[in-house]
Amino acid sequence: MESGSLHLNGISWSVFRLGETAWLLQPKVSENVLEHIHSASDLLERSKIDGLQDIIPAYDSITLIYDSQFKYDPGKISEISPSREPHLSREKNIFEINVCYELGMDWNEVEVKTGLSKEEVISIHSTQNYTLAMMGFMPGFIFLEGLDDRIAVSRKEKPRIKVPSGSVGIGGNQTGIYSLESPGGWQIIGRTTESFFDVKKTLPTKLKAGDRIRFKPISKEEFDKVVAKNG
Amino acid sequence: MGKLVVIDGGLFTTVQDAGRFGFRKYGVPVSGVMDNSAFELVNSLVGNSPETPVLEMTLKGGKYRFESDSVIALTGANMNPTVNGISVELNSSLDIKSGDILDFEYARRGCRCYLGVRGIWEIEKILGSYSTYNEGDFGGIEGRTLQKGDQLHWKEIQADFQSYTSSREEIPYYSSKLTVEFIPGPEWNWLSKKEQDKFLSTEFKISSESNRMGIRLNSDFQIEGKKREMVSSGVIPGIIQLPPNGSPIILMKDGQTVGGYPRIGKVLDIHLNRLAQVQPNGTIRFKKSD
Repeated sequence: MESGSLHLNGISWSVFRLGETAWLLQPKVSENVLEHIHSASDLLERSKIDGLQDIIPAYDSITLIYDSQFKYDPGKISEISPSREPHLSREKNIFEINVCYELGMDWNEVEVKTGLSKEEVISIHSTQNYTLAMMGFMPGFIFLEGLDDRIAVSRKEKPRIKVPSGSVGIGGNQTGIYSLESPGGWQIIGRTTESFFDVKKTLPTKLKAGDRIRFKPISKEEFDKVVAKNG
Repeated sequence: MGKLVVIDGGLFTTVQDAGRFGFRKYGVPVSGVMDNSAFELVNSLVGNSPETPVLEMTLKGGKYRFESDSVIALTGANMNPTVNGISVELNSSLDIKSGDILDFEYARRGCRCYLGVRGIWEIEKILGSYSTYNEGDFGGIEGRTLQKGDQLHWKEIQADFQSYTSSREEIPYYSSKLTVEFIPGPEWNWLSKKEQDKFLSTEFKISSESNRMGIRLNSDFQIEGKKREMVSSGVIPGIIQLPPNGSPIILMKDGQTVGGYPRIGKVLDIHLNRLAQVQPNGTIRFKKSD
């Protein structure tokens, strides 16, 4: 239930209690919601607030999780951004990601549901710029915002038990990438050779919420060549 | 150097510690022990620092051979532990000789038993934690449950050590009928007053499909009103999710980081420890925390 509000990065946020040591912030704005979430998450990360263990940015919220030894203090959060104006101008990384659309597994269903040919869908999917909205529910799963309505396709009736790592899919009006092999119900339209998630590294991924993504189509030959080169 | 060899990994045995923090923004769940109080007690009984990993055994514990003299302790579920066929106590420091066989049966009471071994465990940390995240295939021993032939190694601690046994008051009684308290969640008020009352008066049965990701509950509880959609948003262990079919799921330590089902509540952490000890087919009721 709503338990108050606070000021962060130039705007007001509703606060909901999520647990003994976890709070949910929702921006009280009607435009640029994702930009406000990503900018505020960045600011929170950089401010290194005592006891703040985890920050989970999502589509319309930021979840703050504290170590149980520490107390959440809305005043401390408001203090980190005394400015009255929101800052949304953080530098955005742009990544171009290769996709071999020939490795899509659900083209029949996608063609039927969109009423478009495979070539038309590829053309629309690969000319759009996307924003990395959030990562989650699984390690490294990447949710992208900015899918053209014409190629929105409902999820599969029966989820796959194993979706290969690197799969690019469409789920409703979102597109996304399965960084690791996992179960999943999205329509798979291609696969990338890029690896976005490595638990052996201190920083497991180079991507973060707010980054911009573009897809570049590659042939099956190019895909195989890159895979062979990467060993 | 201390050493233990797995003869039989049991039903579902993993290496766990307090958890993996700071990576939930990338979708990495917190993992770690399901019963934090039993975890803290077992490390205290062997004189380890609180961040030392332990073995978490689920329902049936397995069989282990020690290849060094060791100090161990067992807490949590009672799986009739024996050393060389002779019963040993839970909640007590135990001296083990090289060659001793530690064996477990099916849990008589409780669901998860913790094995602590005095020493500094030699396991690679992944993203700052020793915990196994089975679904993601990382952490612990190759990201999986223990199997026959696996070995654990540890550096022995030279400092003096005083064995002890926990006092009776410290040991919880694991009931198969439990009432857990919860804080109302952001979507609690999506339920009508009638639905809230029904939720609070229903006895839920723990499904055998429950695991480290979530405790799944069955009952005749139904949502009568219009089903509302929500966009995916942050979740934590203890969150009670309510899918449209009306069967709640309590997210546990390997649970996802974001979810799209209404979060009607959050079970208090102290009660999550107890919940982790209820076997499938046990029952729970919910009580709203003041």
